[in-house]
Amino acid sequence: MSESNLLTIEICNLHHAYKRQQALRGVSFAVEQGSIHGFVGPNGAGKTTTLKILATLLKPQSGTVRVFGLDVVADYKNVRRKTGFMPDHFSLYRQMTVQEYLDFFGAAYGLDVQERTRVVGDVLALTDMGARRNDLIKALSRGMQQRISLARVLVHDPALLLLDEPASGLDPRARIELMDIIRELRRMGKTIFISSHILSELAELCDSVTILDRGAVCYSGSMSGLNQRDGEVADYLLTFAEEHPAAEAALRKVSGVIEVTKPAKAPQYRVSFQRKQTDLNLLLRAALDSGAQITGFQEIVRHLNQAFMDLTEPGVPPVMVTAANNTPPPLPVPDAGGPS
Amino acid sequence: MKLPALALFERSLRLETRSALMCWSRTGLLILILLVLVPIQSLARVGMFGAPGLHFLQEMVWLNLVFITLAGLSYFASAITEEKEEMMLGLLRMTDLDPVAILLGKSTSRLVGALLLLLVQVPFVLLAVTLGGVGLLQIAASYGTLLAYLFLVCNLALLFSVVFRNTTTAAAFTLIVLMVFLIGHHWAAGIVQEMASSGRVNPQRGMGLILTTLIDFWRQAAPSDRLSAIFRTGFAGPAIGFQVASNLVLGVLLFLLAWLVFDWCTREEKDAATPQRWLVGRATRRSRIPPRLVGTRAISWKDFTFISGGKLGLLLKFGIVALLVALCNLIALETGSGEVITREFEGSVLIWVSLVITAVCLALEAAHVFREEIRWKTLSSLITLPVSVPELAYRKVAGTLAGTLPLLAGFVLGAVLVPEDVGRFFNDILSEPIALGTFSVAILQFILFLHLTAFLSLIIKRGALPLAIAIQYIGGSFFMAILAIMFSAGGSSGPGAICLLTGLICVVSTVVLHRAIGLRLARAAAEE
Repeated sequence: MSESNLLTIEICNLHHAYKRQQALRGVSFAVEQGSIHGFVGPNGAGKTTTLKILATLLKPQSGTVRVFGLDVVADYKNVRRKTGFMPDHFSLYRQMTVQEYLDFFGAAYGLDVQERTRVVGDVLALTDMGARRNDLIKALSRGMQQRISLARVLVHDPALLLLDEPASGLDPRARIELMDIIRELRRMGKTIFISSHILSELAELCDSVTILDRGAVCYSGSMSGLNQRDGEVADYLLTFAEEHPAAEAALRKVSGVIEVTKPAKAPQYRVSFQRKQTDLNLLLRAALDSGAQITGFQEIVRHLNQAFMDLTEPGVPPVMVTAANNTPPPLPVPDAGGPS
Repeated sequence: MKLPALALFERSLRLETRSALMCWSRTGLLILILLVLVPIQSLARVGMFGAPGLHFLQEMVWLNLVFITLAGLSYFASAITEEKEEMMLGLLRMTDLDPVAILLGKSTSRLVGALLLLLVQVPFVLLAVTLGGVGLLQIAASYGTLLAYLFLVCNLALLFSVVFRNTTTAAAFTLIVLMVFLIGHHWAAGIVQEMASSGRVNPQRGMGLILTTLIDFWRQAAPSDRLSAIFRTGFAGPAIGFQVASNLVLGVLLFLLAWLVFDWCTREEKDAATPQRWLVGRATRRSRIPPRLVGTRAISWKDFTFISGGKLGLLLKFGIVALLVALCNLIALETGSGEVITREFEGSVLIWVSLVITAVCLALEAAHVFREEIRWKTLSSLITLPVSVPELAYRKVAGTLAGTLPLLAGFVLGAVLVPEDVGRFFNDILSEPIALGTFSVAILQFILFLHLTAFLSLIIKRGALPLAIAIQYIGGSFFMAILAIMFSAGGSSGPGAICLLTGLICVVSTVVLHRAIGLRLARAAAEE
């Protein structure tokens, strides 16, 4: 099996512009099959544009986009069969009942009546909406309408789910329940590509993440990779039993150490070092040799919130006038396995 | 210090003044004047008619009258309902703005914009005096008539916009009342005259006198009668007549009524954009989708049920046809022509009523078939179905057609009643190339009109149908006039060439619009 068969989404050097606004500038990343992939970025970063291209609603102006190895332009019908797109707004026929709405989409996807009856029952059970199947959609609360939107996406059993802000506007209980449903869908083997601003929930949910800012990828890779500031640099916090200035000097002398700082009044030192040149054992040995008594040590990892703040720029992106043939500015090369 | 009541009004005026739509409307008006002026002058030059100034004025004034009526159905009827549909009226009411401020801000500002559009024409219309056949008094009187009518239409539409929950209902009621106001007095006068001749009422006293006086007031208040009087040769005034005074008074009364009922009608914020339940029927425990409908046929089912009204809607349309046929019979009986109610009469009434109702339904559905998807933001869900955009669009159209074309059964029934008339009609058409050409052009123009309506519904929020009527009317008049000039010296080949060219223009325009609808649909889905 080739490597591309394991990838659900492959985006390479994707560019897209709206009149005067360059929305995407050479976006490249990949999503592994069966994973939950978070897609984050500030407003106007290009997330929804990317999602719409993946959902075949927009044609990419340049670059290639493949879903399950299928080109989203040339093979759009098959991409649509394998994909379920939930936009960031309610896309509901409010004059229909819940059952009717799902039945309609089931029929439109070509399911026969027995299959439709089974699938509609299943998705209603999964989204816990079985009791409201005969209600008119307009009578449902926002959270319930969101569940129906998700149920609609699942009707044709797509292998890839594209979810654009699925939890926006939901109360805490509804959000937690939605996240549980998404975990359940992953257990069922689906790949989930989820765009959201609720970073704490994404951090818990996702296996991998892509951070987009001003139309360019800032990071694409695993969550664990993101948690380290830089793949080649490690940060550790060493705690001593008492203040020991000789230890600080000894740590500085270790080859590969970039800096040693004292973050608090407590007898603690933050040590940054090159992973290739040294390791934690050498640091601990140097400290112990200097006579210090070590009471604790831990690697400092960043949470998604911090990573997002570090990687994205503040403020609203300006309108960028770009000629069609302009070469986009150089971008960090995304790495599926680690930080860029 | 600004009056709070005028705050929203002032803001709306500023926005209207700056809006690109108003700018384009003014430009469009200038182009319209040119489109009217050039053919009239050219036709007058080749001696096709005299008094070109009067013709120019008449053309402009009647066009304005149609525009004002159409504006009442879209621009003015949505003044308050658009806030209801977007659930914004409650927020407006929570501010310091009182009902008068909201009414002034939402409606009167639009009235001022429309008044300016009328007034900007006046310097150009004065050219009519130079062209000859018309005096300054006639121009002043006709524009006075239009301004007063505009004031009345604005406030009538405002009242319905306050009373009803959505623009469609408000526009429908505005249309009905305006039609009755404009032409109803002719029928009313006919009925009273008939009753008088049969001795049931005496027009000189009692109820007969009251009815006759009321109908006379009604006739004088209608702008159409007033304009006909103004355009007569030798019109000597006054420039401001009963029509202007009555329309202004009625307009003020309607505004006051709208103010009076505002609180009562808008106290509770309801989901104004909810589709009519009576149209879609009762929700049942089981899905209404027939089990055999799989694939794209399900899309047709959806549009048949929710755009065209489904089986209930179809029954309703047949009911309207039956009602109108009954009304025609009643009028024929009331006007004393009962003896003409024969097989031929019933046949021709059925044919015409079916055709007219089918055409009206098709036009309304063309305005809604794609618009509703945009309004409910459901286009993105539909487009991501594994079908192409054209296939999706054709399925939707097929669904709406399935809810309307059965009305043509009335036409078939009429044809069965008068087979000889229908046969003669088609025989005449087939034996006369010009008649065949004219008939074909009429059908092509209607198809073009449906395409234009559907396309406009994809690019403007409301008023696609009135705008399509206006564009088709102006465009059609202009092209016909130009072609008439081009082929005026063509002898017997002229009419044939005009038919051919008009047909060609219709086909090309339809193809262009057909393609543009597909592109626009895909774009609208991506923009959701």
